[in-house]
Amino acid sequence: MPAITAHQPDRNFRYWIIAPAIFLLLAVGLFPLIYSLIVSFMRIDMMDTDTSFAGLYNYKQLFKDARLWQSLLHTLIITAVALPLELIFGLAMAYLFLEKMPGRQIFVSLLVLPTIISPIVAGATWRLLLDNQYGPINQMLGWFAGHRVNLLWTINPYLVYPAIIFCEIWQWTPFMFLILLAALSNVDKSQTEAAEIDGASFIRSFRYIVLPAIWPVMAIAILIRGLDLFRIFDIIWALTMGGPGTMTETISIYTYNEGFKQFETSYTAAIAFLVIAILTVTVTWAIRRMGLAK
Amino acid sequence: MVTRRDVGKIGLSAGLAGSTSFAARQAAAADAAQTAVDAAKKYSGQTISIVWEAGLQALDPLHFSGPKWKELTGMDVKVIEVATADMFTKIMQDYKSGAGAYDALNVIPSWMPDLVNAGALEDLDPYVDKYGYRDELQKIAPTFRDNQMMVNGKIYGFPDDGDIFVLYFRKDIFADPAVQAAFKAKTGKDLAVPKTWAEFDVTGAALTDILKDKGQYGAGFFRQPPYAMFMFQERFRNEGGKFFDADTMKATINSDIGVKVLTDTRAENAWMPPGVEQWGFVENLAAFLQGQTAMTISWPPYGRWAAGYGTDQEALNWVPKTQIAGKVGYAMTPGGHPELAAGFCLSISSTSKNKDAAYLFIQWLNSEAISMERVQLPYTLRDPFRDSQYVSAEYLSRWPDAKDYLATLQEGAQNGLLDLSILQTDKYEEVLRQMISKLWAGDDPKAIADAAAADWDAITEKIGVDKQKAAYANWASKSGAYPKM
Repeated sequence: MPAITAHQPDRNFRYWIIAPAIFLLLAVGLFPLIYSLIVSFMRIDMMDTDTSFAGLYNYKQLFKDARLWQSLLHTLIITAVALPLELIFGLAMAYLFLEKMPGRQIFVSLLVLPTIISPIVAGATWRLLLDNQYGPINQMLGWFAGHRVNLLWTINPYLVYPAIIFCEIWQWTPFMFLILLAALSNVDKSQTEAAEIDGASFIRSFRYIVLPAIWPVMAIAILIRGLDLFRIFDIIWALTMGGPGTMTETISIYTYNEGFKQFETSYTAAIAFLVIAILTVTVTWAIRRMGLAK
Repeated sequence: MVTRRDVGKIGLSAGLAGSTSFAARQAAAADAAQTAVDAAKKYSGQTISIVWEAGLQALDPLHFSGPKWKELTGMDVKVIEVATADMFTKIMQDYKSGAGAYDALNVIPSWMPDLVNAGALEDLDPYVDKYGYRDELQKIAPTFRDNQMMVNGKIYGFPDDGDIFVLYFRKDIFADPAVQAAFKAKTGKDLAVPKTWAEFDVTGAALTDILKDKGQYGAGFFRQPPYAMFMFQERFRNEGGKFFDADTMKATINSDIGVKVLTDTRAENAWMPPGVEQWGFVENLAAFLQGQTAMTISWPPYGRWAAGYGTDQEALNWVPKTQIAGKVGYAMTPGGHPELAAGFCLSISSTSKNKDAAYLFIQWLNSEAISMERVQLPYTLRDPFRDSQYVSAEYLSRWPDAKDYLATLQEGAQNGLLDLSILQTDKYEEVLRQMISKLWAGDDPKAIADAAAADWDAITEKIGVDKQKAAYANWASKSGAYPKM
């Protein structure tokens, strides 16, 4: 047996190796967070010279700000409608493409295309498609209706949410589809075939065999998309900029407006920490509820 | 086609075009431009940056003034294109960070009090005196010169764009005997270009009825909130409205006049082209140039493009081919006091590291000789703002109706209304944009106006009633703040 080399490496060497990465992470991650927290207790609004300590003033203002809570409600509405629909359509599409069929690879690749488009580009494209004067959607609806159709998708209060949610679903259902297709492909077919021989219905087989098998992956997909939807900005910004009025203003759009259009820097920092608090509680609860912590 | 001649030739050719006194003015103008060029030669090899509105506007420094300045002085001009909506933010961010990334700036006049109070703009008085520019500044049309140049008695920007709303109408339709007869039968009145909003509503609705079979409408406007916000400001004041109670600083945009303006504005959509609520600058332009609407209101470039002036240039290939050249008339907007909507001033950033060089560039740009050339560039959206530009022989010869066009712009400049400009103006304007947006969504005009007034009061309260009261009093004392009834 060869002798072990006499030179013993420095026991702290491993820490020295990771130190630059840790320092970088702290510099770009923790410092801005702490600095933002400090700013949220000040009076910085870019237009004023008074930047003194404000205590909890900005946080108290949060509770009086009706527009903030409305924007949170708008965010929840979009999330609550779009997320289940994306899940259902994604699952249905995944089932459809589970079986081998001619051109499957090509279709899957085409279906995933919307996901790789920048959301702001997707939003701008949909804005053009939905335009009353030049957009093809009203034109096509007109062919069916037999007369010119004037639907103001981004202005009419009854149409604006369906338009946003449709665009959101169009872009992100493929994400759900892709993840669920991968999960479904890994389900043990012998179990579902055995259940089928024993006379189990599709629903029963899905509920007791497939769902438990794909649940960890599905839960992660729901979590990722839920967080994305909570932060939704680009598509709505391109489609409506939060209008009509503030009817589709989400928390991200409101935060942007306060921070970068109204220059309420300290107040915006307070909003950011409110959002962090809400998301932390929600995600922690969801992770426990979904059993992902196990 | 606009040619690029050197400074001396511009001054000379323009000078020869008019009377002796006009020639004298031009000679002096050439001096101001030449002074800037001579002084700037010592900065040869240096680069200055200028913030300019992205798109067509920026083609001026990119294709014309920037290369010309380089040729004359050896200085490079770096053009930083920024979307209008982001310009204020970018300027403030640069100032607050102390980065000094911008030397010269394009600033919308209504922003100037905020930028000056923040300390973002350089006082230009010492430079004006140093380089002898004060006389030429006096030749800027009084409305722009007296109202858009100074804050607290000091010069912070050179008015450089005579933005103003114009009522464009189809002369051929208004002169058509068949239309006139149908109009008389329908309304009992003679067909004429409307001078009040009440007349406009009657005329527009009747023309739609008469022309609809031909696919034409009485009028079409841009209705997207950023544009309609200016139209509200104009119409509200033309109808006798005041933005605030000057004693209490309580918002009065929810007065009966405010509610009436909102109600009437929305009612007009019923006889305008379907979907007009979504129209922006381009949609409205396309409809007018293609002959779909008999009247519209917009900025001066519409008039040039409707006449086909310069639209063969590549930069304007997106402008729909005009089908109404020679058929367009120009008039004051209803009420007779058009909005001096937006506009641009040239300023210097207080954090610039090349203030002197940057100043010389903006003096040269703004000088009588060079600005005469710039306002005639068809693709850059800069509009006449100097007295001489309204009577320029060269400009008057650009298309057959240019004389009427320039006379209308000049009259508008004399009667025009300033955009509201107080402390944190954009916050108040944002409320107006939201108000318009809610109006198109179908909300009750009274409720919308009340909510907007409450939002204005909250903003005033936060800024400080006394501070804002002083700023408003200063603005309201200007000649173009409210119409003289």
